[in-house]
Amino acid sequence: MPNPIFKQNYFEIFSVPISTAPDLTQLKEKNHELQQRVHPDCFANSNDAEKREAMQITSLVNEAYNTLKNPVARLQYMLTLKGVDMNGENDTSMDGAFLMQQMELREEIADVKSQSDPLDVLETMSRDLKNQAGNLVLTFAGLYAQDDLEKSREVVRKLQFINKAQKEVNDITEQLEDELI
Amino acid sequence: MALLQISEPGQSTKPHEHKFAIGIDLGTTNSLVASVRSGHSDTLPDEDGSHLLPSVVQYSAINILVGAQAKQNQIADPHNTISSIKRLMGRGVDELKSQFKNLSDVLPYEFAQTDSAVPKIKTAAGDKTAIEVSADILKTLKLRGEKTLGDKLEGAVITVPAYFDDAQRQATKDAATLAGINVLRLLNEPTAAAVAYGLDTGAEGVVAVYDLGGGTFDISIMQLKKGVFEVLSTGGDSALGGDDFDHAIAEWIIKQANVKPVDLSSSLLRQVLHEACKAKEALSEVEQVKINIEFSENKKWSGRLDREVLNALIDPLIKKTLMSCRRALRDAEIEKNQVIDVVMVGGSTRALCVREKVAEFFEAEVKVDIDPDKVVAIGAAIQANALVGNDSDGNLLLMDVLPLSLGIETMGGLSEKIISRNTPIPVSRAQEFTTYKDGQTAMALHVVQGERELVDDCRSLAKFELRGFPPHVAGAARIRVTFQVDADGLLSVSAKEETSGVEANVEVKPSYGLQDSEIESMLKASMECAGDDKDARSLREQQVEADRVLEAIDSAMADDGEEMLSAEEREKIQQVRSELAIARHNATQTQALKDAMEKLEKVSAEYVARRMNASVQKSMAGHQVEEFNK
Repeated sequence: MPNPIFKQNYFEIFSVPISTAPDLTQLKEKNHELQQRVHPDCFANSNDAEKREAMQITSLVNEAYNTLKNPVARLQYMLTLKGVDMNGENDTSMDGAFLMQQMELREEIADVKSQSDPLDVLETMSRDLKNQAGNLVLTFAGLYAQDDLEKSREVVRKLQFINKAQKEVNDITEQLEDELI
Repeated sequence: MALLQISEPGQSTKPHEHKFAIGIDLGTTNSLVASVRSGHSDTLPDEDGSHLLPSVVQYSAINILVGAQAKQNQIADPHNTISSIKRLMGRGVDELKSQFKNLSDVLPYEFAQTDSAVPKIKTAAGDKTAIEVSADILKTLKLRGEKTLGDKLEGAVITVPAYFDDAQRQATKDAATLAGINVLRLLNEPTAAAVAYGLDTGAEGVVAVYDLGGGTFDISIMQLKKGVFEVLSTGGDSALGGDDFDHAIAEWIIKQANVKPVDLSSSLLRQVLHEACKAKEALSEVEQVKINIEFSENKKWSGRLDREVLNALIDPLIKKTLMSCRRALRDAEIEKNQVIDVVMVGGSTRALCVREKVAEFFEAEVKVDIDPDKVVAIGAAIQANALVGNDSDGNLLLMDVLPLSLGIETMGGLSEKIISRNTPIPVSRAQEFTTYKDGQTAMALHVVQGERELVDDCRSLAKFELRGFPPHVAGAARIRVTFQVDADGLLSVSAKEETSGVEANVEVKPSYGLQDSEIESMLKASMECAGDDKDARSLREQQVEADRVLEAIDSAMADDGEEMLSAEEREKIQQVRSELAIARHNATQTQALKDAMEKLEKVSAEYVARRMNASVQKSMAGHQVEEFNK
């Protein structure tokens, strides 16, 4: 019989309520507690089947923890719990103004090296992106509570864009910092 | 002879209940073996008392030398004496060429032509892969463990650089299999060091482990908390270490001496590297050193190397490590000021400028109070001990991550990431594919590891051929491929066609590893010549047993020999005891030792019985009989 953990959703596994902002410290502690029971190292003297199950359960716990602690993945997962698939083909059109703004930002990032103080510019960008993301998460929480899944989905799409931009900002910052060392 | 070992009532009378496991640090320059004894983890010395085993193997037609002696013969016999083999683990021939572009282009080994993906070095004892050379080092360490512990080993934890990719890890595991070692876990070196350091100091919080060895560099950012060691991120370079410092210095010497590298013979090159290494080590103590090298009879060179020049030579290498540190901090989402300790591991952190630069980078003092050579093996032994079930508290937990992203090749030679770097392991991800031809029943996946976009810029790990799913029209099959990375950081792939539920056969073709069949034939070959090994082994086992018997009888005689035995009885036992002692030191025959032990057992049987009685009476004294009936 498969372990009952495979039937639980990620929030249930971590014994926290479904929320856009779970208590991260609590998640971390719960992760340690779970790992101490399920990690393959606790089954080093067990038979192969038990070892394999320990590996699968720990993989699941790791996946759950990664999803819940990442702000965007968490929201995406909340949508899948309501049957909304984020990776589907039928993407609705995006807010034009938002897309425009994103394109401008990408151009700015691409040009940043020509600025006199690129690291400062990147830091400002990074802060702005974090603020925008924070606001979108709040918007999502409201829409999700009202069960407006279509709009919730659009918010997550925007967050994915912002995430990508944030990653680009980080990568270029890293490059520039490496050059400075 | 177990009866001689009488313990107090209530204590265990079965010393064998304790399972023995070892931790092995298989290093580029030196290797170590450690074990937990009486609750304390320590490295095990050889007969001469040295703990470090130089990772050097000399092959000749008649025997294999491992360690200090092989190292001594290196300059005289450069082709057959293999060092720094760890740098070749899991690497292909073409890769080696690009990896060793400088001096080491002229590595003093000759590579054999081979169909295998794994390079083979020509030696007097035949062609050897890096896996076989490593296995010979592992065998020596395993023997040392068995000899010291005098017992059957349950298994070993073997450490690998955190930044080792899948192929390098697999090669290490294959080497252990070849050496006849049961691998309990592959453990990342910085994690092992953190375990030793954390349990020793009781430190809690975020620590950075900076591990610069002979040929590899790792940085791990870790969270320590009451027996839980969680790796937040890891970074590094699996081809950067103290060897590169030596090469930089050797290049400098060759330039100063105005000789052409191509004119140098293998053994001269070895000598220059040797002098470079000596100079580097000396500069940790003194301000400057004098170097003398005789390139030929009429070309002698001598010069001075000071710390300033050394720093300039190795500065670019240290900078590379600091870039990895910065990236690891960012991946862990940790600011420098949150790091409470920077733990220095690996022999190369003895170089003063490494310490200075790292301290400057982290804006913190670095911890150098633990032995940077031994700490990894000590940590590995603690983990090994816990894994075989000796950890009474049972709350040691090590959580590690995948060091490099895993991806699959897609159209246009791009790598699509499936599992990104620094994901906690074990981890499993599934991806769905479909067929693009009618009736297609097989497909191939090329798995790569690395951060770059282009497949060509990543490391090719393996091609997985999935076969045997039922034919469908193009695009109708739904093939779910599951990528599973286990706690050792090793990848396996399984596939299932979802509409029919048929499991595919997965055939793995490692890009730079041995196929299962190759390992099998190596194992077979090593078993065929293992007859001698086996005899030697059983003799050693009997020697250990004899030591134990001698110790037991001596301690019993010292305790109560006077009161329990007549002078005559004592003399008889002593006489047989010395016969055994002589046999222990002279015998080359296992049987002779066994006979001597049996004889001693016989003459002391009465004594053993008397001791038993006395012990029982002593423990019953002062107790009511009823107490024993409970």
